[in-house]
Amino acid sequence: MSQRIGIVSPVRNNTASHTLSRSQRISNGVSIVAVMALVIWGCGGSGPEGEPNEMVLHHILSARIRGLDPGQIRDVYSMMVAGQIFETLYDYHFLKRPYELIPLLAEDMPQVSEDGLVYSIRIKKGVRFQDDVCFSFDKLRMVSKVEPVGGKGRELKAEDFVFSIKRIANIKYLSPSWSLFDDRIVGLDEFREYTKAPDRNIRGEGEVDYSRAVEGLITSDDYTLVIKLKKPWPQMVASILADISTAPMAKEAVSYYGKDIVSHPVGTGPFKLNVWRRGSYIELVRNPTFRGELYPSEGEAGDAEAGYLEDAGKPIPFADRVVWTMIEERQPAWLLFLQGKVDATVVPKDNYGEVMMENGQLTDRMRQLNIQLKSFEDPSTYWLGFNMADDVVGRNKPLRLAINRAIDREKFIELFFNGRHLVAHGFIPPMMGCYNPQIKQKGYARYDPDEAKRLLKEAEGIYGEKIPTLKIAIPGVDTWARQYGQFLTRQLNAIGLEVELQYMDLPTYQQKVNNKSVQIFAGGVTANIPDELDFLSLFYSRYAAGGPNKFNYSNPEFDRLYEKVEVMRDCLERRELCRRMEVMVLEDCPAAFLNHRVADVLHHDWYKNYKPHSFAYGLSKYRRIDLSRRAAYKELLNASR
Amino acid sequence: MYAIPIVVGVLLLTFTLFVVVGGDISVEIAGRGATQQTIEEIRAEYGLNKPLFLSRDSQFVNHFKNALTFNFGRARDGELVFDKIKRGLWPSLALTVPIFLGVVIISVSLSLVIAFVRGTVWDIAAVVLCVAGMSIPYLSFILFGQYFLAYKWGLFPVFFSPDLSMAGNVALPVLIGIAAGLGGNVRFYRTVMLDEMGSDYVRTAFAKGLSRRRVLFKHVLKNAMVPIITRVVGAIPFLFLGSLLLERFFGIPGLGYLMVEAIGSRDYFVISAMTYISAILFVAFNLVMDICYLLVDPRIRLE
Repeated sequence: MSQRIGIVSPVRNNTASHTLSRSQRISNGVSIVAVMALVIWGCGGSGPEGEPNEMVLHHILSARIRGLDPGQIRDVYSMMVAGQIFETLYDYHFLKRPYELIPLLAEDMPQVSEDGLVYSIRIKKGVRFQDDVCFSFDKLRMVSKVEPVGGKGRELKAEDFVFSIKRIANIKYLSPSWSLFDDRIVGLDEFREYTKAPDRNIRGEGEVDYSRAVEGLITSDDYTLVIKLKKPWPQMVASILADISTAPMAKEAVSYYGKDIVSHPVGTGPFKLNVWRRGSYIELVRNPTFRGELYPSEGEAGDAEAGYLEDAGKPIPFADRVVWTMIEERQPAWLLFLQGKVDATVVPKDNYGEVMMENGQLTDRMRQLNIQLKSFEDPSTYWLGFNMADDVVGRNKPLRLAINRAIDREKFIELFFNGRHLVAHGFIPPMMGCYNPQIKQKGYARYDPDEAKRLLKEAEGIYGEKIPTLKIAIPGVDTWARQYGQFLTRQLNAIGLEVELQYMDLPTYQQKVNNKSVQIFAGGVTANIPDELDFLSLFYSRYAAGGPNKFNYSNPEFDRLYEKVEVMRDCLERRELCRRMEVMVLEDCPAAFLNHRVADVLHHDWYKNYKPHSFAYGLSKYRRIDLSRRAAYKELLNASR
Repeated sequence: MYAIPIVVGVLLLTFTLFVVVGGDISVEIAGRGATQQTIEEIRAEYGLNKPLFLSRDSQFVNHFKNALTFNFGRARDGELVFDKIKRGLWPSLALTVPIFLGVVIISVSLSLVIAFVRGTVWDIAAVVLCVAGMSIPYLSFILFGQYFLAYKWGLFPVFFSPDLSMAGNVALPVLIGIAAGLGGNVRFYRTVMLDEMGSDYVRTAFAKGLSRRRVLFKHVLKNAMVPIITRVVGAIPFLFLGSLLLERFFGIPGLGYLMVEAIGSRDYFVISAMTYISAILFVAFNLVMDICYLLVDPRIRLE
């Protein structure tokens, strides 16, 4: 037996080694061929050098866009794309600061009646919708059953704006923008009632009779739109007429595409949709029937020196194509930017040290690559909010103040935003007209753990015993949310408070906040328009539970002043009132306001006319690519490696 | 017989988790600043105010009817759920099938070889490498591969490019997927092979004077097929679900992210469709698995 083994074993081993070596050879061969094949497939691609004469803007989308139907759009990413396809009656001046509204599809600024209730708007003549098959559909259908082709875009009329607004009012359309119009325009709420009346058996958007008159939406002729309001609304132009939701979408397209309209935008803008591979990339091409526009010839002080006026008076758009690639992860976005395959990116948190020095300047490598940094303040405020209807925090001001004093905002900003954001001393961001430059001195955002402990003792006296474990609702379940939760826990534990963190997805969070079933909640808001009303409305008691007032804050004096400033035009008196209202809220402390966002954007030097804008989205028409600089980038990159 | 209860159970579970327990999507749909009345109107339009179970027009009965007729409706972004799945299926399969085949072929072959040299330095080295491969997080493979192979050495595209073929776009993710999957699989198959190598029939085969290759591929591999089939066929339904991390990092427009995104945004229509299709695939491939057992092992009988 042992002999047999003794005989077999060496042979087995030899054979095994022989087999192994053959297997290895085969395996190695296969691997090499596979890798070579994959490499051959993998190489190439369209970098900047692949498009020498074509001006293409390469952008990043960091989230999926939901659709390109203006009335359904409320997310920033969809606005970024749709803003190039659609136009609104008014838009913000690209260069001027403070932000200034200018006519876009309107001929001029609206004529407003003495009482501020009637707006008369003249529409530009000769503006055409982008060519689309939807315009030839009816005619062809009558002649034969062939698929429609071609389709010349028709001229834009005032009636198209009426149609856009009525669509938003249509309950079957389920527009997220309805809250902007709710109880504003004469007869529009009645139109909404008509669309939801079950006795009429309206089952879909297409069955609604859009020819039904709305008293407050009138077209006195093809080029004049008249809007009648229920009460003065000085922010109307910014709130709805410069908002993508009212951008005209061709009625023919809505009828032709039906529910697929979200993927078939037909607007009047400088670009039109060419390819949309959902969840991957979007490509727009220049709209050949665009009416033409000129690059602005004036801006704010310093714009000429910064090169923003080099293209003054030239026809826009400059780019032939605009491409957005959806990249949700930071590493590929950053590597593509470094490769020169995208024009701009935000400063990635994990690569901050590679990009910025401690003094906030770009590193030598970034400068060698001619990469430029643009920083701008975002009209936003983030907070740790208190539910004022909650028995523990709502009725205990010293407790809310203790939490407010316990948070080290500087450290929070250093840890989470590389020290780039601004401490929120109040809730109105510095870029707003009524911002109070003295607010910091009032010390509402002061970090003072000793005072926090003293206030906590006072709070326990009111509560009658030790404060129970506080529950903090945090939207999100990702790493960032958890780190944020850990930071808050540590800060509050330090003064003797116990905390339970409740991480949840956004719909659950919103539902709980609306139901008043959270105790403390992390949140924030970004203004849609350059007006402080977006922030003040957060504390108006009529907007509690379901509305913007998530804090369930109620202060009759605040409400009275809100109703006053809501109908006032911007003036010194209004600004003073807004400041008073802000202090009123800060004294009551329905939230610990933490930070205002500051965005840092990097772009290549070939990407011209990149001036950050907080409110406008249709900006690709101003961008220009210096093709020679882009072509030279590869050598620059190789030299820097 | 177990197929119907499994599918019905999945439908019930999905419904309970995302409609009964989960949050209401009406608030998000209503938009910022919407009043409670608007939110209620939206609930009514979506049928969220209907009874949950006990009615002929209840939410669950409608959910069940729609699933049976494969009427998945529209996702929250307005696109037909069926179109969404159809569009993402090919890129996902282009990624997961080569990874799956690569991992299975390489790991089964390697494990046969390793099992044959058991106890030698090659075996120890292979086990060490396998354990190392299993210990390194999947994400590290991706970050490393993307940075060095794509960015530094320029062998592959860093990210999905519409100008490249699908093969060109998935080349690097496939390599990474295979590399990351080898450790655990080689260890598993090595154990399976070692079990067989110690059997009497192997000794008999060698005693009869059969060649190594014949013993390995004709006898050992055939006898090891039952656990291999369990693992391989059992994994096939999951290929449909794509690969979340690889798709995200390389921009492959597949189904991997679809489900996660749908859960995050409470897109119940997408969740429902994906879980229902997954359940059907799971049941179908379990049946295929049983048939495969019958083919490779004549001792097994279907009853």
